[in-house]
Formats: sequence, structure tokens, C-alpha cells
Amino acid sequence: MSIFEYNGSALVAMVGKNCFAIASDRRLGVQLQTIATDFQRIYKIHENLFIGLSGLATDAQTLYQRLVFRHKLYQLREERNMKPETFASLVSAILYEKRFGPYFCQPVIAGLGDDNKPFICTMDSIGAKELAKDFVVAGTASESLYGACEAMFKPDMEAEELFETLSQALLSSVDRDCLSGWGGHVYVV
Amino acid sequence: MEGEPLIYLTCVAIAGADYCVIAADTRMSTGYSILTRDYSKICQLAEKSVMASSGFQADVRALQKVLAARHLIYQHQHNKQMSCPAMAQLLSNTLYYKRFFPYYAFNVLGGLDNEGKGCVFTYDAVGSYERVGYSSQGSGSTLIMPFLDNQLKSPSPLLLPAQDAVTPLSEPEAIDLVKTCFASATERDIYTGDKLEIVVLNANGIRRDYMELRKD
Repeated sequence: MSIFEYNGSALVAMVGKNCFAIASDRRLGVQLQTIATDFQRIYKIHENLFIGLSGLATDAQTLYQRLVFRHKLYQLREERNMKPETFASLVSAILYEKRFGPYFCQPVIAGLGDDNKPFICTMDSIGAKELAKDFVVAGTASESLYGACEAMFKPDMEAEELFETLSQALLSSVDRDCLSGWGGHVYVV
Repeated sequence: MEGEPLIYLTCVAIAGADYCVIAADTRMSTGYSILTRDYSKICQLAEKSVMASSGFQADVRALQKVLAARHLIYQHQHNKQMSCPAMAQLLSNTLYYKRFFPYYAFNVLGGLDNEGKGCVFTYDAVGSYERVGYSSQGSGSTLIMPFLDNQLKSPSPLLLPAQDAVTPLSEPEAIDLVKTCFASATERDIYTGDKLEIVVLNANGIRRDYMELRKD
């Protein structure tokens, strides 16, 4: 079994009209056993920036702690919050530092940049960024999520509609993946 | 793997109250190359049974030949066409006959049962089958199934009293749904594309429609 499938995860972020939504499942498992049904995968970096970390849970937690540390330092030095694009570059650099012994995580970053313009991106475990204009997915349920999101996505959705669409896409996708599920957390900004 | 004409196609079947829709794309690919853009994977086995298969092309063809031969024998012995549930059982038995050297074929069988209601049977490579309200097989199935689940929520076959698996959608709505599914699958799956072949079985008979898909 692949190391990325050890804990199981499903993450998706979608862009709407001056808003974004990021969602994850809530299951934490050890291969086929479920350990927790309320596991948090999406973390807030600041008011307008969220990062979700799929893959190995221990690496996700460690990576989150390192990123929060770097962001707090940035806030102290620059006296402002990081822009989402900058944060994405930071995550990419931190992941590539470990090029030959990587963190087994796939981050999904979602934030609002200047003028409330939504920004989403995902990366592989060694920091290759993939910017998208519509949606990004990560985790063991990623193939199902690709299909569901592709079929349900519409450009320029308002916040409520975006929430509904994202929830439906997430729930139907994780229902087809045995390693993720047990509900979802959705953050709409 | 180069040189192995595996059809990583996507096929979808939806059963309705008095119709059945089976659709598959027409691309045949091997490894990262396309062998042809115009290859039909849907085969009519009997008057009211249509099968779509993904997997290894030679095995699919051999399977179709075996089923056609068995159907002919049935017609001679019983003086009638095989019904769809009967064909479903035959297909299952044919696949399991080769349990220890299987047909590398992932099938979906669609048609009308004896009462004229739509039925869809979904198979694995060694013949395990189940009658369902909708199904998909192939490389795009992981992308399409969650969407079909969401749109067509079929009751579990374990419920009592037994509930109808067929969808309440009308025929044009089901065809639209299939087209949406394939448009989405084509975007994200490299093995799906070129053209979509839709076969519709209803009381009036059988008809084929085509729709263009992205060619990249």
C-alpha cells in the first residue's frame, strides 16, 4: 500500500465569485481501521488564507506547525499578512527542501488576494505548484473528486451555491472511496 | 504499456422505467498513443440486450463471439430471443467458466427485461454481477460514478421490501445526464474522448446517436 494511502484523505478547493471554499473529509484511519471521525485537515493561516494537507497525517501536522511558525515570523517582520501567492511559494520551497526525503503530503492552498480575488493552488509532495482557475483536488479520493467537481462546477458561483456544490461533490466522491469519509468540513470565505 | 490494445474506455449505462441508455466513447488507445478514434465498443447481443466492455480488446471480441454463438443455439432450441436477465446470467457463467484464466473484460450489460423496464447489470472480470439502476466501467468510471450517485441515488439492493432500481428520469433527461458525464470525464481522463456513442433501447426498438467529444 502506498504511503499516501496510509491515512486516507479527501481535499478539494473551489473558486467562486469573489469567494472561495475549501473542504475536507473527517476520517483518520490506519489503513483499513478508522481511528477518528473528526480529524481536522484544513488549517487557518490567517483570516483570508487556508491550507489543507492531505496524505500522511503526521507529516501534515508537522508541516502545518512549520508553516505557522514561518508565517508568524513573516508577520513580525513585515507587519502584515502573507499574500496567498507568496504563501504558496513558501510551501513549495519548504517541500522542495526535502526533495530526497519528502513530506508525504499534498497541500491545497486557498486564499483571497488583493481586491478579494480568490486564489487556489495545489502541489505534489515535492512542491510542484499547480494553479487552477476552477477547482483543485488532493487525497485518496482525488479521481472521484475530479469527476464530481468537473461535472458540478460552474464559474462565478455565489457563496451559498458554492457551499452546496462543494459539499455535494465532496460527499458523493468520498462515498466511493473507502479510505475517506465520515462527513466533511467546509470553509467558505 | 505499449503494444497492448487495452481499451481504457469509459462506458456508462442507465436504466429507466421503460428505456435503457448505454453509452461509450469511441477511442482506442494503447499506452499514451491513440490507435483509432472511431471504434465501437457497444455490441448488441440480443434484441433487447446490449453490452459495452472495457479491457483487453482480443478478450472482449472472443467473449462477444462466444455469447453470440450461445444466443444462436438458444434461439434454435427455444424459438425466441434471450431476455436481458437471461443474457446477464449467461454472461456471468461464461466469465466464471474462465475463472483461472479470465477474460480481461469489464462489462456492463443493458437492456429491457420481460416487463419492458430498463435493466443494467454490472460485472467484474470473473463474472460477479448485480442488477443496478446505473453503472459505469473503465478508466473514467472513478470520475463518473460519484456524479451518477449524486444525481441518480439508487436505493440499496439490500432493502426490504425490494425497491425499484430504475431511475425516475425521462429518456431525454437521462441522455443529457450521460452527455454531461462524458463531457466531464473527457476533460480529466486522457483515455476518454473523440466521439460518444449512445445506444438507447426502448419499446420502439434500438437507436444509436453520436456526439462529438474533445479530441485531445
